[in-house]
Amino acid sequence: MKADIAVVGSGLTALVATRTLQKAGRNPVLIWPGLSSLYFLYATVDVLGYMNATTAQPVEEPVTGVRQLIADNPDHPYARAGVAALQDGSNLLLDWLREAGFNWQGTLARNLLLPTATGTPKPTCLVPTSMLAGDLQRVEPIVFCGFDGYQDFIPELAAANLARGWNGGHRTVTAVRVSLPGVKPDRLFTSIDLARSFEDATFRRDVADRLRRTVKDDGARLGMPAVLGLTHDNDVHAEFEKETGHPVFEIPTVPPSVLGLRLFDRLRRHLQETGVEMIWAAPAHDAEVANGRCLRIHLKSAGREQPVEARAYILALEDAVDGAWRAGAHTVRDPFFHYVLAQHATPAERTDESLFQPQPFATIGYPVSDRLQPIDKNGSPLAANVFVAGGGIAGYDPTGIKARGGMAIATGYRAAQEAMAA
Amino acid sequence: MPDTSTGVVVIGGGSTGAGVLRDLTLRGIDAILVEKGDLASGTTGRSHGLLHSGGRYCVNDLAAAIECVEEGRILRRIARTTVEDTGGYFVSVSEEDEAWEPRFVEGCQKAGITCERIPVEEARRREPALSTHVRTVFWVPEDGHLDPFYLVVGNVESARRRGAQIRTYTEVIGFTRNGNRISGVLTRDAVTGEETSIGCQAVINATGAWSGFVARLLDVEVKVVPVKGVMVVLSRRLAHAAINRCHKPGDGDIVVPGLSVAILGTTAVKVPHPEVLPIEWNEVQLLIDEGAKMLDGVTTARAMRAYAGVRPLYDLGAEAEGREMSRNFAVIDHEERDGIAGFTSIVGGKVTTYRLMAERVTDLVARRLGVTTACTTAEVPLNDRDDEMDQLRHRPAQLGMPKPHGEELALQPLLCECELVRPQDVETWMKDPAVRTLEDIRRRTRSGMGPCQAAICSYRLAGRMVTDRGVDGRTATRAMADFLETRWRGVRHVFWGSQLRQAQVTAALHLELFNVDRQLQEYFPPPLGEGQGGGVPAEAVEAVGQP
Repeated sequence: MKADIAVVGSGLTALVATRTLQKAGRNPVLIWPGLSSLYFLYATVDVLGYMNATTAQPVEEPVTGVRQLIADNPDHPYARAGVAALQDGSNLLLDWLREAGFNWQGTLARNLLLPTATGTPKPTCLVPTSMLAGDLQRVEPIVFCGFDGYQDFIPELAAANLARGWNGGHRTVTAVRVSLPGVKPDRLFTSIDLARSFEDATFRRDVADRLRRTVKDDGARLGMPAVLGLTHDNDVHAEFEKETGHPVFEIPTVPPSVLGLRLFDRLRRHLQETGVEMIWAAPAHDAEVANGRCLRIHLKSAGREQPVEARAYILALEDAVDGAWRAGAHTVRDPFFHYVLAQHATPAERTDESLFQPQPFATIGYPVSDRLQPIDKNGSPLAANVFVAGGGIAGYDPTGIKARGGMAIATGYRAAQEAMAA
Repeated sequence: MPDTSTGVVVIGGGSTGAGVLRDLTLRGIDAILVEKGDLASGTTGRSHGLLHSGGRYCVNDLAAAIECVEEGRILRRIARTTVEDTGGYFVSVSEEDEAWEPRFVEGCQKAGITCERIPVEEARRREPALSTHVRTVFWVPEDGHLDPFYLVVGNVESARRRGAQIRTYTEVIGFTRNGNRISGVLTRDAVTGEETSIGCQAVINATGAWSGFVARLLDVEVKVVPVKGVMVVLSRRLAHAAINRCHKPGDGDIVVPGLSVAILGTTAVKVPHPEVLPIEWNEVQLLIDEGAKMLDGVTTARAMRAYAGVRPLYDLGAEAEGREMSRNFAVIDHEERDGIAGFTSIVGGKVTTYRLMAERVTDLVARRLGVTTACTTAEVPLNDRDDEMDQLRHRPAQLGMPKPHGEELALQPLLCECELVRPQDVETWMKDPAVRTLEDIRRRTRSGMGPCQAAICSYRLAGRMVTDRGVDGRTATRAMADFLETRWRGVRHVFWGSQLRQAQVTAALHLELFNVDRQLQEYFPPPLGEGQGGGVPAEAVEAVGQP
């Protein structure tokens, strides 16, 4: 098939790049390689939580932090993308979320501090409104609420950690559990099952009743696992707050993450409904290059190989999970040019001794030009009409600094700009 | 006066110590087992789980082979639920292997090992993954898979029901003596540091590769050579039966299917200390390369982790090296040899023959104590009761598999989806004071041993530490992180393909979604992990010296 600009990717990077092209009046085709596990892990847009991977001090103003980061590290992917791409991309995303029926809030000027499922305060930036009441800069007591037989959010663990860590232990944090109407604890049920159940008004009111009876503190806010609706989450959250008589905030659970499902399913569907062509579940595995330009890329779709020809290409994969690069025992290559991105004498070299430290493997990627083109050792683009966003960029490690969403937006937006100019 | 008294103190909570404890209690002798870590946390739990038919030893070590034959048959009777009757194949893939075949066949005959040569086509019909390199195949029906964790737990629980006590995380730091006779041991709790004395009439040193350290407390020498073996775990079984290379036992020549995985084994490298077990890349590579000569799919299967165990080879004084050394065992009567009455060591051997080792040492100690009751461990089954715990390993029937008659069971909630561990499987152990860490839970339930390597279940288990045990958030979070770190130590040696992608998911979940790295900083200022590697004091390494 022929296209104007082809975007390859399954995560926020690819969605932002595609939307940018769509809003600019271009005709993008989104090549979606399939469900990535990260799909289930996304919850909020983290822009910059910490200035480096080891400091304990959260960033208060993410946009200021990003400027500082760029000044300190001119090779950082944020520096390649630029602050303007982060700002314009975020505005584009927030507008898009509104248009697609989401209710999100946040500004690049301020981080929120939200409790995670382990009860750890975490700085994050753009969030669904259903999470907002969890902000730890507010002072009301928190009651974490769990359900009998539901293992993917443990209120007692969250409370035990937050009670001590939040404001020096000077705030009230407790945990309660209620049983769920009609749910047998000895039957397997997942977060998705629960999210569907919460769309049923009778079920929801019954749970609200049980919580109202259990929570004694009228002034407390309720921290719930993020299972308040799968598709009608705005209504479910608002109704549930009324029915319980408390502010309620959602907390991302272990996968499958309902927050991630809501976000990706609806944005992808919105793209389709507004006329963007998508090629489903088709990983790209080869690029044909001649005279310094990419002529076409080849997809593995069901039962056959499919070439896609475009004027420009955006490689917007998130990381190894969705195939930004592929690792053998010694050699790491990209899936398009089969270019050697890294070589290691032993696989263990790719890792730190501790899981909780920055991992060398996370930074693997293409060296890129100022225009986000993948370049060879001499600094020449592998193909002048190919642009990289997301985890394919060398040095792209959002984990320790908690910047996954922001880096996805900035590089996705910038790559789209460059692709349009190509 | 000692804090408590018993008949015999058994040191070591591996298969040998657990077997000795059970043997003692079956003979009516009061006993306490002390173990410095968890049960099966040393050699036993790190074995590959091959229940040896004896075929591996029948040429070079006939006595060991004969013991394997007999003990394998006994274990199938007394420890039914710990054995999976996979059978095994010995396969030749080279000319040298073919030269070994007549010796192998003769050895099997001498040792009484059932062995049948079958056509390669027939073997491939049964095991479609057999490599095209395979030239000759022998079917050895008495190879099997032995679940080492459950074997130890089965022995210990059987002994506990008969009045024995078990103290894990309890290290022996000294002995009390009455003249030349042992009158007790002094122990220290590894977590609290609390010291306790136990009075006794006899001590059995069943600490395997650690025997020398215990004996040294009494100024006597036990020469055990710790020999490291590295293994690689694949996420699928690849074969129904155990696959052995038909040649002189060497590196990377067995593939053991166990439950849902296959284990590639193993290497043999002398190490200075039983706790210094570095995993080298050339070992991992060798296991995969050699395994691929026998089975297709070894190179493309998902390698989940690598791990290292240590063999406690007893130095019989011969000039033998590593694998050349006998896998046989010896009872050391320190009363006769060193003039220390009431102290006996049991050294060497292997998991397959643990029961026989226990029988021999218990025979001697019982005789010294004037107990004439004969050993019955070859007849009395481990699971000589009928309650829930004995059913732990019968999970498929309880997990909602359709029953041929009657109602279909609903799919039950799982705490570990990879290994099908239910919340109630864990609940029992959360109540057991011997269980201290989430690794201990893993050893008993297999939670965290599947492809995701505890990414998901570690959170649920940390939650249960709070709800079931009432520990604080700091302890629970640390337990979760420690569990993940232990898994990580194995994962990082097979860090490519699917397992690399898995690690990225684990990091995204724990570091990004949960922000656990920052939670940990509260207790461990960065950089985390510095000074935590190894954990073996320098003097301990020095004390062993060069073997």
